[in-house]
Amino acid sequence: MTGQAAETAAGAHTAARRPFWRRELSVGWLAFFMNVPSMAVLFGVLAYPIYYAGYLSLHQVGLAQMRRGVFPFYGLQNYANLFEDPLFWLALKNTMLFTVFVVTVEVAAAVAIGLLLMQTSVWTSRVTRFLMLLPYAVPPIANGLIWSFIYNFKFGFLNRVLLTLGVVSEPINWSGHADTALIAVAIPYIWRTLPFAVLLVYAALQGINRDLYEAAAVDGASAWRRFWHITLPMLRPIIVVILILRTSFAFAVFEEILAITQGGPGDATWVAAWYGYKVSFAPPFNIGMGAASAYVLALIVGLFAIAYVKLFYRRMA
Amino acid sequence: MDDLLRSTLSRRRLLQTAAGAAALGAGAGLPWGPGAMAQGWADRPKSKVDKVNFVVWTYGDIYTKIAQKFEQDWGVKVDSTISSFNDHPTKLATMFAGGEAIDVSQSSPFSFPAFVKQGMVEPLTGLPGIDEYVKDFTGFTKEVAVIDGKPMGLPYFSAIWVWNYYEDMLAKLKVDKPFATYEEFIEHCVKAKKDGLCRYPVLWVAGVGLEQLPGTWYAIVANKGGRFFDKDGKHMLGPGSIAREVLKWWANTFEKGLDISDPESLKLQFTTSAKAFGAGNNLYRGPNHHYGLNVVNDPAQSPIAGKVKVHGFPGDGRTIGVTHVYFLNSANRDKEWAWKLLQYLGGRTKDGAYTQAVNLAKDAMLGSGYRSVMGSDVIKTGWKPWGDPDAILGMWEKATYIGEVCNSVYQPWHFPWTDQLNIEVQKCLTGQITADQCCDNLIKGIDDAKRKAR
Repeated sequence: MTGQAAETAAGAHTAARRPFWRRELSVGWLAFFMNVPSMAVLFGVLAYPIYYAGYLSLHQVGLAQMRRGVFPFYGLQNYANLFEDPLFWLALKNTMLFTVFVVTVEVAAAVAIGLLLMQTSVWTSRVTRFLMLLPYAVPPIANGLIWSFIYNFKFGFLNRVLLTLGVVSEPINWSGHADTALIAVAIPYIWRTLPFAVLLVYAALQGINRDLYEAAAVDGASAWRRFWHITLPMLRPIIVVILILRTSFAFAVFEEILAITQGGPGDATWVAAWYGYKVSFAPPFNIGMGAASAYVLALIVGLFAIAYVKLFYRRMA
Repeated sequence: MDDLLRSTLSRRRLLQTAAGAAALGAGAGLPWGPGAMAQGWADRPKSKVDKVNFVVWTYGDIYTKIAQKFEQDWGVKVDSTISSFNDHPTKLATMFAGGEAIDVSQSSPFSFPAFVKQGMVEPLTGLPGIDEYVKDFTGFTKEVAVIDGKPMGLPYFSAIWVWNYYEDMLAKLKVDKPFATYEEFIEHCVKAKKDGLCRYPVLWVAGVGLEQLPGTWYAIVANKGGRFFDKDGKHMLGPGSIAREVLKWWANTFEKGLDISDPESLKLQFTTSAKAFGAGNNLYRGPNHHYGLNVVNDPAQSPIAGKVKVHGFPGDGRTIGVTHVYFLNSANRDKEWAWKLLQYLGGRTKDGAYTQAVNLAKDAMLGSGYRSVMGSDVIKTGWKPWGDPDAILGMWEKATYIGEVCNSVYQPWHFPWTDQLNIEVQKCLTGQITADQCCDNLIKGIDDAKRKAR
């Protein structure tokens, strides 16, 4: 036995004699205990509500039942009612359209703006870097109200500008026309949430090694080829993160709908979260069915997240 | 028709009742005799509470005033939770579901059946003074607040649907008086647009709501002698029905038809439409609550104040009316004190006067759910600054309770069905579907709404 081995054996022997609370933890146990606080918080704020929503969705829950705290078991009836409701399917369709539009625009715009911000030679990029954050600081409901004034048919800023410039001859009912209402809600939503995506892209761009660009430039690569073969592949992990986060948030859009269109005109802007809200919190207060709709929504978002990870990460691998 | 104006009660007979005397005295500022103190509303409950509370939707500062009066009179603190009209059912529902104590709350007649069904409303049977209140209820109030013979609430306010017109614009149109028929209405609007007086001659109240867009449709259908459901609850929306024909006519005034309707109409509620009309860009304002005049004829809020007149419906002038109510919440902390607070909001204060109802008439041009108040000078003097009380009261005589035109308001499924009605009618008005498709969809939606409300 070497001296070192003897020392190790002696150490182990000493450790074994120590009471368990004074022993040094193994890496695995240490990691476990370090994660316990965050796991507890996550359980409290995420897992329990998710479980409870699932529980409610399987029970008959109205105001009276909530008050009494007694929920008759309802099986899958809430889900059956949900799937029979054409408005739910329409709300899902509108949500899908909204999400695809919003996420596509946000990713493209975030990359474009991020690249512009990287141009340190342009002095305005420093100003832009600061100004970019402002929309993110605006509360969603206030954002909706601001844009509802901008869109106002007769007195709104947008129509005034377009009329003055001669772009249109008559004011356009942006948020009150079925053909434009969903876009009219999407634009303020993008305006508010885009800075988050820009920040992520900007941070990722700063992490790309400049040598790669220099080497490509020496090889005569054009700006477009440098972007396509260096920048974009290096941004792919962050784009996946943006896709997952923005998709899940866009699926839950609510405040802009509430402030600008309230689902209208007609059902043109009924989205899934608005549907769940109306079903749960307007008479006849079908909270069980509202929980079921929220669950279906969460499931769809989860499927999207898995699809993104599988598709993009597999490509990366 | 409202009981008050249909009945043959004279002013003398009203004065003979204590209730009438109380209201009239309050309106005239008369002192109160000790007799009032002997009534139920003047007695202090035997139980003790630290505070009481109410959950209502906002209207000016009326709740601050009445809460202060309650605190002064009884020495009990009043907490209030006040939200917007459209958010109120949600606010109330979440508080109730969350186990909070709520003594008194408020409801539109459309949400009330759902609140009753959910066990949120406590019957008022047997409470001191309730029989006197019920005797004084107007016809509208009885329709809403008395359910299966039990009094379930006290009135907040009553309103009827009327038209408005902008006097100066009508004069520029070189027309002596507003329309007397629907054909004339269209003629005026088309001419006003053609002459360049305004781009959109008519502004409707067609925003999503329980009685905004639906109320406009109900009112015109009622005026033409139609209904939405018969007495057995069978729909009257089929081909050739008055409701369907009215919708065709209405939709034709929008963009895809005559293009005389202001597109902004689809977002407007009662007060916002009054404010929009105050801009002076429209000739007519479609059927709406009569009290909008207190906005559009208020110089502080409207550039055309004093120039907006009230106008009755064509034909026999039939219109619709409604009463909103306060109710005793089953989640109250103390029934006696909750009843006391409920009376301050929807009945009499300690001095025996209908303080809140009188203030609402004087400050906000609202009608009352009590016959004695509606028959008093309070209404005439209170409404005078904004409109013609005699003209409005004349229209009131021809008003039918909204539930007679659309009796689904008594059903819990009315609310989800109205959600669909708002959607389908807006789609129709914006040309996405025809009036026939809209009515067919609404017929199909009845069963769906019933299922949702089960």
